[in-house]
Amino acid sequence: MSYEPPITDYDEIVENCTCAFCGCNCDDLDYLVKDGHVVAVRHACRLGASKIMEDMDQRLIVPMVRGANGELEEVDWDTALDTAAEYIAKSVRPVFYGWSETSTECMKEGIELGEYIGAVLDNQATICHGPSLQAVQNAGYPIQTLGEVKNRADMIVYSGSNAMNSHPRHMGRYSVFPRGYFRQRGRFDRTVVTMDPKFSDTAKMSDKWIGFEQNGDYGFYNAIRAVLKGKKLTQNVVSGIPAEDIYELVEEMKNAEFGVLFFGLGLTHTLSKQRNIDIAIKMVMDLNRFSKWGLTPMRGHFNVNGFNIFMAYETGFAFGVDFSRGYTRYMLGETNTIDLLVRKEPDCFLVIAADPGAHFPNGANQHLADIPVIQIDIHWGPSTELADVVLPGSFIGVECAGTSYRMDGVPIYMKKAIDKPETCRDDEWIVRELKERVMKLREEPNVAPKYVPNPAAE
Amino acid sequence: MKTITFDVKKRNQIALEMDEVIPDKIYSWEAEDFDKYAVPVGNSRFPITDFFDITVEGTADSPAEVKMIFNGDCGRVKYIGNKMSAGEIIVNGDADLHVGAEMSGGAITVHGNCEAHAGREMTGGTLEIFGNTKEFTGASYIGEWRGMRGGKITVHGNAGKQCGECLVGGHIHVKGDCDILAGIHMRKGLIEIDGNVNRWPGGQMKNGNIIIRGRLGRLLEGFVEEEIVTNPVINGIEFDGTFIKYKGDIALKGKGHLYIDAEKNRDKLSAWEDEDDEYISLGDNRLR
Repeated sequence: MSYEPPITDYDEIVENCTCAFCGCNCDDLDYLVKDGHVVAVRHACRLGASKIMEDMDQRLIVPMVRGANGELEEVDWDTALDTAAEYIAKSVRPVFYGWSETSTECMKEGIELGEYIGAVLDNQATICHGPSLQAVQNAGYPIQTLGEVKNRADMIVYSGSNAMNSHPRHMGRYSVFPRGYFRQRGRFDRTVVTMDPKFSDTAKMSDKWIGFEQNGDYGFYNAIRAVLKGKKLTQNVVSGIPAEDIYELVEEMKNAEFGVLFFGLGLTHTLSKQRNIDIAIKMVMDLNRFSKWGLTPMRGHFNVNGFNIFMAYETGFAFGVDFSRGYTRYMLGETNTIDLLVRKEPDCFLVIAADPGAHFPNGANQHLADIPVIQIDIHWGPSTELADVVLPGSFIGVECAGTSYRMDGVPIYMKKAIDKPETCRDDEWIVRELKERVMKLREEPNVAPKYVPNPAAE
Repeated sequence: MKTITFDVKKRNQIALEMDEVIPDKIYSWEAEDFDKYAVPVGNSRFPITDFFDITVEGTADSPAEVKMIFNGDCGRVKYIGNKMSAGEIIVNGDADLHVGAEMSGGAITVHGNCEAHAGREMTGGTLEIFGNTKEFTGASYIGEWRGMRGGKITVHGNAGKQCGECLVGGHIHVKGDCDILAGIHMRKGLIEIDGNVNRWPGGQMKNGNIIIRGRLGRLLEGFVEEEIVTNPVINGIEFDGTFIKYKGDIALKGKGHLYIDAEKNRDKLSAWEDEDDEYISLGDNRLR
């Protein structure tokens, strides 16, 4: 890593800003602003800083609509919004996907539009912590705040998560290194364990690495539960881990004063999916017979948790909420974006603050290429190549204010630091405008799919 | 007896939701009632006659006197027989999600493959599938701890993940192979698998019986070998063969029983000392 001299040429410092990158939502950042641009960020990790100091070369500046020649053409806002509203108003199976990198205030407008039109509202949880949310619905949620972790935890377990790479300040700000009220010596007062098939960067920082084999999570957790219940293990090696190591680990976990299990996609997306999390939650419940334990999912985007909390509050379901029958439904394999796209059901796709073009499997993206795609985002990406209408939004936490939820469910207000480009609009304004235009269009005859009264319901 | 035949005209890309077209609701319907009926498709409703040629023959005074026959590819027709309590449904082709989910009586036969969620939370009746099924056959819906409570599901092909999840009654018979975690969290009832099982059947089960006639990939640590039994009688049914009987899941203080064929799973016996524990890879057992 080459030496980068500190930035000294700036106009002002905007203090106590909130990072708009990962689920840590670090709210102690200082932005160094010059000529209306963030030129440096203090206290942030390299991931957060590089996102906040955005690359204007890739910035979506003006609204665009794909023309007859197949190229995106710059248009005015009215034309772009009317085109997008027409696609939505005429659709039979619309899907509104994304929301994890925008504000909760914007989601409020989105849910109204989704409910009005009968859409499926889904977010990135469908490809990340969806199994965690399903498990939580079944088994409960023994969570604690990151403040409690900092002040109390003496045993930290990362399972299927490489926090050093994905959430670089997590260990430094919340879990491992900070000095807390009851952990005055910081790192020296804590035991850190990483459970991961790979010897990750987090494992290198840990006191103990449990390198169980891939897809062996469920069997491994089951063995821990069996030992916690006082059973003697019959197999010498469980999921690649010697039985004596499991006894030793369980003893350490039982003797911890306050333990926390942080888990990532390495646990949610192996073979047993939600049942991995289910058994992890049950294990935490078992551990609470001996000590105080909690768990927290390592959420990726800064407001992915916000969407799930907001949707669960408003509709009863955390993600993949289907309004098509006029009431809310959720079913894994049926109302989740990937399943819908692979089944080629959606006929209109609104993507806001997400990049399915980069993250979805090929089968799903193939269908996106066949249907109208409306993109609300700040950066040009693979999804822009699939989009038929591009609506340039604004950067929450930098160019406009909004509310987000940290990975532990704590809401954090993200303040505005600089003005957005003149031709861009707030996400909240864009979705509200779309909603009003769709409502207006649906009132006109021959726009909405023809509704036929249902004698069975009468 | 009334026979209603649905000949598929075209396979719609967006799934039709047929939860309103079950014997309980349509036993008194005539052809003109179907002409007026609009089926939910996405956020709209469209005339059912756009998708099916419907023929009604005979009369019925109750749902039990109704026989519905679907001819053609119903791979985009969801909720066939959902919540039905009586009558008979025959699908001559594939069926989509939720076939026979929450049914309490009657009979459904599918001469093809079924998508996921077949027979979820059913409380009675019979569901027979001559092809394969995907995930969550006879399972519980997310957030619910009680899956299938009664009746019988027979799958002549393979079954996907978490077959019989949270089973609290009834009988599931899979004649082919079964993917991971069959009978997870089950509390009662019987799961019978003639083929191979990928791994971890009966995870966190509290009670009930699972019998596997094929090869088992991996067993969870929470199962304790009890004895070798010959021709065991389980829930009044005698099963031919010699089986290793386990009790589990001990991690949950479970009292369930898992029987696996002793000959095909000799390596699982506590006396077995061959360390070359080959297990069935997911690739060998992947469905469809």
